[in-house]
Amino acid sequence: MGIPGTDLMTASDGQSVVDEDKSEFSSDEGTMAELRSLLLGPAEAQLAQVHERLFDPQRQVEEVSRVLPDAIAVRSRQDEDLTTALAPTVSAALEYSVRKNPQPLADAIFPIMGPAIRKAIAAALSGMAQSFNQTLAHSMSARGLAWRWEALKTGRPFSEVVLLHTLLFRVEQVFLIHQETGLLLRHVSAANAEVQDVDMVSGMLTAIQDFVRDSFSTRPGEQLEALQVGELTVWIEQGPQAILAGVIRGNAPQQLREVFQETVEKIHLQFGSALKEFSGAAIPFVGTQPLLEDCLQSAYDLEHQKISTGRKLTPLRVILGIVLLALAVWGFFWLRDRRRWDAYVARLRTEPGIVVTDTGKQDGKHFVSGLRDPLSRDPAIMMQGTGLDSKLVVERWQPFQALTPDFVLARARKSLEPPTTVGLHFNDGLLEAEGFASHQWVLETRRVARLLPGVSQFREDKLFDLERIENPLLMFDVNQTEIRSDQQEKFDQLMADIAHLRQLAGEKKVRLEIAGHADGSGTESKNSTLSQGRAETVAAALKANLLNWPNLTIATVGSKEKLREELTDADRATNRSVTLKVIVTDSN
Amino acid sequence: MIQKKVCMLGTFAVGKTSLVRRFVESIYSEKYHTTVGVKIDKKVVQLDSSELMLILWDIEGTETEHELRKSYLRGAAGYLLVVDGTRQDTLYKALALQTRVNETLGPVPFLLLMNKLDLADQWRISERETAALREKGWEVIQTSAKTGFGVEDAFHGLAKKLSGA
Repeated sequence: MGIPGTDLMTASDGQSVVDEDKSEFSSDEGTMAELRSLLLGPAEAQLAQVHERLFDPQRQVEEVSRVLPDAIAVRSRQDEDLTTALAPTVSAALEYSVRKNPQPLADAIFPIMGPAIRKAIAAALSGMAQSFNQTLAHSMSARGLAWRWEALKTGRPFSEVVLLHTLLFRVEQVFLIHQETGLLLRHVSAANAEVQDVDMVSGMLTAIQDFVRDSFSTRPGEQLEALQVGELTVWIEQGPQAILAGVIRGNAPQQLREVFQETVEKIHLQFGSALKEFSGAAIPFVGTQPLLEDCLQSAYDLEHQKISTGRKLTPLRVILGIVLLALAVWGFFWLRDRRRWDAYVARLRTEPGIVVTDTGKQDGKHFVSGLRDPLSRDPAIMMQGTGLDSKLVVERWQPFQALTPDFVLARARKSLEPPTTVGLHFNDGLLEAEGFASHQWVLETRRVARLLPGVSQFREDKLFDLERIENPLLMFDVNQTEIRSDQQEKFDQLMADIAHLRQLAGEKKVRLEIAGHADGSGTESKNSTLSQGRAETVAAALKANLLNWPNLTIATVGSKEKLREELTDADRATNRSVTLKVIVTDSN
Repeated sequence: MIQKKVCMLGTFAVGKTSLVRRFVESIYSEKYHTTVGVKIDKKVVQLDSSELMLILWDIEGTETEHELRKSYLRGAAGYLLVVDGTRQDTLYKALALQTRVNETLGPVPFLLLMNKLDLADQWRISERETAALREKGWEVIQTSAKTGFGVEDAFHGLAKKLSGA
């Protein structure tokens, strides 16, 4: 600065020299100019520069702009005068700017406005929230009881029931959407969340916002903030250039809104220029991924769980606890007894020959009533081992005859008492007997069978009546032990029938008792010998024709037990005979 | 992949929805037209060296250009203006519509689609009219949603304009 100052002095000196010597200046201007150039020559250029700096407005602007920031800084440190001087201008400028176009200013202060407003609101709400929390905590205790009861009833662990009820929310998807175009900038989703085509969803979300804004003539700046569908909520957080939309299952707390808001702000702060320049390429927004993922929150209401399990003991709570325990114990036994009874009744219902018509509880006792076929299983036996106390069970059964095939057959067996050599079968109303049986049993069965309930027909085609063997008499002449010659045909028929019997008997052991008879004439001892002889004759004949089957035994009846009263010769002829009797010796 | 918002515009029953139905991916039913007034679909167009994803805003047809919801146009990079070649009035309505859209969006790329070419015997738009439009600098493509004629070309043509190729 020293040199231009010196130049200035020299210049003014030069001027005064010129003033004093005006005549000389005019007479010899050329000499003066020369002199001047000699005297000031080196400084002339600098002088011109100074002149330009002093009087050229453009240069002045440049000069001031160079020192202005420093000057403002220096002056601001000294006193408040500058601030005071600038205040009206700045405020007028802001006012003008807002009036002209509020958007840039709104955009600029957006990142700081949110937190500031939230802070103020949070402080105001915290007092209110505290009392609200207490109310909630009280309601929790009743809910806690209800949950315990539910756990008891369903057999699920209490902790599981609590978790189920305390699932508060889960953020399943987060969309970052370009405000103006509705194009998707970035999308993140939680594991297992159901995701549709996110590009289209993004567009549709934007369209719906436009639709709501247009349709309900909202005020400028008012936007759709939430969509609710069942237990899904879509929270939409607006920013100047981008929208954050979170798809939430359950009831998210207000704090989550703040997380969303902060995320929008952070994204505007970090990706502001990329958002402004967005023309369809989403790649610059890959970096928003971690911010968006921070929004994928989920929460269980564990705090309330603690409240309901870990609070102080008060007399009321102790009593409540005892009542609860008693209730639980009673509930357990009640439930166990109930399950046993249900199982027993279910078994009765499926038991053939038992028809349950009514069950219930009366005077503290279970009762069951219905119809019961006497042939069905005894309910008292069925009750054994179920854990039910028979003294606390009243059973009322009306007898009836079940008509199911099993029961018809069982009833037939019971009333017909078939010998072991007879098999009974029942199908579609038809009772069939097969095997062999005494003539008496056959007669009895014929009579009774069709009277049995459920039996409409009796068939005996495969039943062999032993009468065929036991009825025929092999006759002898007076005082003879040889079979009468006219008995041959009868004898042959007998052989055939015995062969048939052998087939039917199978593995069963059968004995044939051969009884010899005599008429009443002659002495008893003579008759005894005679009848013995006759029996032996028949035995020998049978043996000769049969191959070791069946076993044969001989019984001598003589004339003591006459087959017939001897009133005529024909009666006496009948008594001179041999009869056969089939005896099943099988122990089974 | 670059994405672009594209609007389908035109009056009632010119076949906008039919045009997109066969050629785009869609998850929304056509009910959205009568409820929200717009249906979003997606079409990925393969260009020479890249792919472009068109997010199509199929906007409900209106009788006059004044009924158009301008907010649905916001941010659109281009649009397809659809007319029904068998109804001359749809062309004049489309001209009015284009003026209005131009006011909102500015000079963004668009194509004029003359649809229903399959009904050639009922065609009501003259060669001269078409030529006049082309002279105006408009790109006109004849399409048939029914046969698919020209539809891929239309989407492809718009995509090309949008990508600046």
